[in-house]
Amino acid sequence: MSTITVKVEFGGGLELLFGNKRVHSISLPSSVPTDGTIAPSNSETPPPAKSDDPPLPINGPIRDLTNGPGEAKTKPLDVQYLMHYLRTRLLTERPELFMEGDTVRPGILVLINDTDWELEGEGAYEISDGDDIVFISTLHGG
Amino acid sequence: MASCGNPIADDGALMPSRPKFDKGKYCIKCKLNLGNIVIRHAVYCRDCFIPLVTVKFRRALEPHVNANTGTSKRPKLKASGSLILGFSGGLGSAVLLDLVYKSYLAGHPPTDENGDPRGGINHPRNANVWTTCAVCYVEVSGAFPEAHDSTEEIRSTLASYANLEFILLRLEDAFDASWWCRVTGSSDMSQLALELGKDGLPTEGLILARSSNTLPPKDALRAFLTALPTSTAVSRAIQILIRLLLLFTAQSRGASHLLLGSSLTTLAVSLISCVAQGGGHAIREEFQEHWPPGSSSRIGLGGSVRVVRPLRDVTIKECTAFAWWNGIRVLGRPGLMRAIAGIPGLTKDFVVRLEKDYPSTVSTIARTCAKLEPKGVSVGECWFCRRHLQGGLADWKARISIRSHPDPKVAAQLTSPSPTLCSVPPEQAPQLPSLDTHLCYSCVTMFTSRSSRKLSSAPSLVHRLDTPLPRWVESKSTGVPSQEAVLVSDNGELWVRNQQSEGESRKSITDFLLPDH
Repeated sequence: MSTITVKVEFGGGLELLFGNKRVHSISLPSSVPTDGTIAPSNSETPPPAKSDDPPLPINGPIRDLTNGPGEAKTKPLDVQYLMHYLRTRLLTERPELFMEGDTVRPGILVLINDTDWELEGEGAYEISDGDDIVFISTLHGG
Repeated sequence: MASCGNPIADDGALMPSRPKFDKGKYCIKCKLNLGNIVIRHAVYCRDCFIPLVTVKFRRALEPHVNANTGTSKRPKLKASGSLILGFSGGLGSAVLLDLVYKSYLAGHPPTDENGDPRGGINHPRNANVWTTCAVCYVEVSGAFPEAHDSTEEIRSTLASYANLEFILLRLEDAFDASWWCRVTGSSDMSQLALELGKDGLPTEGLILARSSNTLPPKDALRAFLTALPTSTAVSRAIQILIRLLLLFTAQSRGASHLLLGSSLTTLAVSLISCVAQGGGHAIREEFQEHWPPGSSSRIGLGGSVRVVRPLRDVTIKECTAFAWWNGIRVLGRPGLMRAIAGIPGLTKDFVVRLEKDYPSTVSTIARTCAKLEPKGVSVGECWFCRRHLQGGLADWKARISIRSHPDPKVAAQLTSPSPTLCSVPPEQAPQLPSLDTHLCYSCVTMFTSRSSRKLSSAPSLVHRLDTPLPRWVESKSTGVPSQEAVLVSDNGELWVRNQQSEGESRKSITDFLLPDH
């Protein structure tokens, strides 16, 4: 299975939720399950996110995609899958401050290659190799 | 996506989501470049977006720079004093600082072909708008034992801006006599405290009393915040402390302008939150404020300070993109600390969600609130928040309030006159220095409201004495005769202490005075 490398950046204080690390380089499979289950990663394997809140249903257990062909429907790697991946693999605290349901929490600006993700189809944007995706929190007051 | 059917049964049951921009993906301003950001359904490219924010900033600030507008359509900008910039390290203030610095402080005067300033360095064109600029930061970690002190991070953030003076204030300075002496020149070191009525209701008066023991500023701050009944009250109190620390500091330094980094979104939050907490009478001050109210300063130093929010037309999303594309450093906030809770926190969550789905509605909130006028007249200023005080407040509260209590014993005590007062003839009854008639409605609510979620238990009849108050709650400075009342009911005796004016003192000993000649 081919992989796609994407650069993820956090700003506006959001990096505090991700171990205070601003820039991450992540390799993900080009084809991912449609139900949002997270495939194992080769590049970075931080400890799973901790939260006092119950996990959302979409954030299911990590499952190996190589169990058998045709077991799950797949789709091209998109931003929605990336967000689930970030929450499961990189987030270190308070996931409710990053995601809400299937999308980012209101108040977080997402830039895909320096362009507002609203112009790119938001979570449905299909990630290409070398894309630069930025998550910036706007919730740090006046 | 909005569902119009069962997506499990039918793959085509999901409606495609509507794009959040009106026209194409090209910038609506230059119509050449592909857009980079969507602002209220309009698409802008990065090259057009940056000047757009700068123009909004200048358009909101510059009409308020000169003391007199004059007749010129484009008057030369010249402030009557210095500039103080309120800086929290957050997004709005970081963007504001960058804009102010690049627009007014770091600019080089136009030069001629030799590289010399055109018209000479003393040409009026090359004079700065403000004589000096200082950045004032209020450290709030003193309010929360677990909070991290961010002073050094703030200092390092400001290091990239040359020629800026850094003023460090701490939230506990509001209770610090030395700070109060510095900013006002007052030599009164006494600490006033707040005594609630025996049921916590304001009907009997929020009584001012001299504190028997003077706490260190940080302990006084925590005692004050601990005595507040709700998290909403704590949030509001912190906001007021920060605001007045900035204002007193600005005034003591002769500043003509205090700039705050409230964006359109945070302004909408503060407007709704202000109304929700009963502060509707002072809603105009949330937009722009001339302080002190009425412009006649009792402080004695400096004149009035204009509080301007130059980012009031810039949404929080615009601020975020502007900060990101200009490399402006925004300090994050540790997860544990949340200075805004209660109504302000809930309002912020609501408005931020609203902005995501209906971005134009946020500006509608601000525009609608800008048209509001207070109904009644002002009768001075609130002793605590130092904003306009609505007239007839006590009568209105008396008309609408019904006092009842589930415990009949407590109810009987509440409805009957106080035993300490019954033991003395009416002419000897003390004149309690009631604070509630000098507080605005939202401040009275802040001190006395009870959380509706708490179980209603019988209130303690022990008075909560010695809740320290900020230094500016000073009866002498407000021109009202200073009075103190200490009720001691253990043996039925009543002790009343009054601070007399010089005239009253002279009158009481007039029989013993020798004639002047």
